Amino acid sequence: MENNSLIIRQARKYAKHKSVANSKNLRIAVIGSYSTQHISMVLKYLLHEECIETDIYEGQYNGIAMDVLDKSSDLYMFKPDIVIVFPYHEDIHAYPDVLETQDKVERRINLEVDYYKKIWSNLSENEGVHIIQTNFVIPPLRQYGNMEKKLWYSASSFLTVLNQRILMECPANVTIVDLDEFASDVGKYNWFDYSAYFLYKLGFKMDYLPEVCKLLVRQILVMQGKTRKCLVLDLDNTVWGGIIGDDGCEGIRLDPNDAVGEAYRFFQKYILSLKNRGVILAVCSKNEESIAKTPFEKNKNMILKLDDIACFVANWDDKVQNLRRIAEKLNIGLDSMVFFDDNPAERKLVHDFLPMVHVVDVPEDPAYYAIQIEKESPFEWQQLTQEDVIRNTDYNSNEKREKLRESIVDYDVYLRALEMKGRVCVLSTEYVQRFTQLINKSNQFNVRTIRYSETDILKYIHDQNYKCLYSELEDKFGNHGLISCVILRREGADAFIDTWVMSCRVLKRGVEEMMFEQVLEEIKKWGCETLYAEYIETNKNALVRHLYDQFGFLQISSDEEAKSIMYRLTDFKFTGAYNITKI
Amino acid sequence: MMDVKENLQDIFRRIFDDDSILLFDEMTADDIEDWDSLMHIDLILEIEKVFSIKFTTEEVLKTSNVGEFIRLIENKI
Repeated sequence: MENNSLIIRQARKYAKHKSVANSKNLRIAVIGSYSTQHISMVLKYLLHEECIETDIYEGQYNGIAMDVLDKSSDLYMFKPDIVIVFPYHEDIHAYPDVLETQDKVERRINLEVDYYKKIWSNLSENEGVHIIQTNFVIPPLRQYGNMEKKLWYSASSFLTVLNQRILMECPANVTIVDLDEFASDVGKYNWFDYSAYFLYKLGFKMDYLPEVCKLLVRQILVMQGKTRKCLVLDLDNTVWGGIIGDDGCEGIRLDPNDAVGEAYRFFQKYILSLKNRGVILAVCSKNEESIAKTPFEKNKNMILKLDDIACFVANWDDKVQNLRRIAEKLNIGLDSMVFFDDNPAERKLVHDFLPMVHVVDVPEDPAYYAIQIEKESPFEWQQLTQEDVIRNTDYNSNEKREKLRESIVDYDVYLRALEMKGRVCVLSTEYVQRFTQLINKSNQFNVRTIRYSETDILKYIHDQNYKCLYSELEDKFGNHGLISCVILRREGADAFIDTWVMSCRVLKRGVEEMMFEQVLEEIKKWGCETLYAEYIETNKNALVRHLYDQFGFLQISSDEEAKSIMYRLTDFKFTGAYNITKI
Repeated sequence: MMDVKENLQDIFRRIFDDDSILLFDEMTADDIEDWDSLMHIDLILEIEKVFSIKFTTEEVLKTSNVGEFIRLIENKI
């Protein structure tokens, strides 16, 4: 709580700074049925702390309808990138009457859902806009007592169903934030401040303002492609109780009949559930590797197994160096890592030297380890795809690939031994989600780093002047799934590579070549004469700086300020080679 | 009994980020440039927190100057 009032104080100070107008600022409109001024203030500050500068438009009080339905309103002139919508349970035009039939209640719900659909569709006329909307926080007013949830015409039932319908029926560019769940976690009596609502139209108690804004910031970061996918775990007193080097494989505390052992097992179960939903697990421990591995192999109370860990690092080097090693080995950015270690000194070291790593504020008692990760929610993603889930098995297969590679001296021979099969396909609607996800989370192999929403991609699929291509790859150790995307755009006789991304897990396996060959095929089908391409430098994509040189493009211009280089290609003969069998 | 006026002055200085603020009984929102409705909310909530009191809706509505705030707080602590 102390920390919360500090955040509000700093936000207030920051609000006094005149913000610098910059066309690169993220444009956020905040509209709601209750007062949102404080929310905007804290949001702006917290985003600034994340190095995201913003221009913020503030809606009128009770402004959802007024702002959105009037297309000449300032909201539309503002041209927001993101609109944040805060509905309130008092917005409901008419709640069901007592003993109303189920049909009638459903008609009321349909009306409300249609109202939001109209709002979303209006807002979406601004090209590329993303909407973040909180769900209704169901108030702790149960006129029907314990029957409240059973009776479909009660206000709680009505709002519960409405929340669910909105969640299921909102389009791809709308993200619903589960504010009701958050309010339940803190307690509804604490959440609502009735006096402050009547006096100032505050939708919830100010104490929760920073936390609510953090929920939103996490969503915005995710939209910016900033997602975390790897949990790095210490071992002693983190995954099990005690010190493996001193206590031995059977001496560490993991016994389900011991309360502390049970706490560690509970944490392990939670970690395993994270892994099953696609979080990559790594170990970073100060230990002898063989000793650190014994519990995984021999202690029957261990829930995590060696196969669950994509990268196991146990040595006596400092953890900063080891985290760098893990990032390199897994081919992920340090900024996609979450570090969990019971030792405050290690946490401070990592926090100070690798500020991009999310360091979990680990509590003293292992019983609360899992809930602390829940509170910080570092693994907030926009969607979950097949790729996320198979990625983990893929990392394990990687170990086998490494072994094969070590046994073969010649790289080409190694590639052939992998027995790779792949294909390049034109995107169809069923793969749009996976396609969009890869575009938005690729940072290294990404030539222009332009992000797109599912709505954008859906539009391109049906636009004759666009072509969306994706590649899939498998080899004898496993299936990588969808690992590369290209968006081509045609303007008359010219074609342009708008987007080209690839998962770094398959770097230098021939996917670049296979993809480019298909790009040339598509250009020829279009009958274009010139293919243009651009490289826009970010601090992460040096990897593809010479991609186009490698494919025979001619550099035609460069723009220092925009950090971009334009390329041209007129000879469409593919001269590369790759070891992937087309399927 | 803590000195309400002194404590209140600390709150004002902190909220308005201005160490030169000197409270006087007849002081109202017109006397401090940044004292807008948003600041007013922050001020009331901060006072409630620091003194561990809760104003009723009516009290917030009726209190219009610093002197009234001080008397109200004194009655509650």
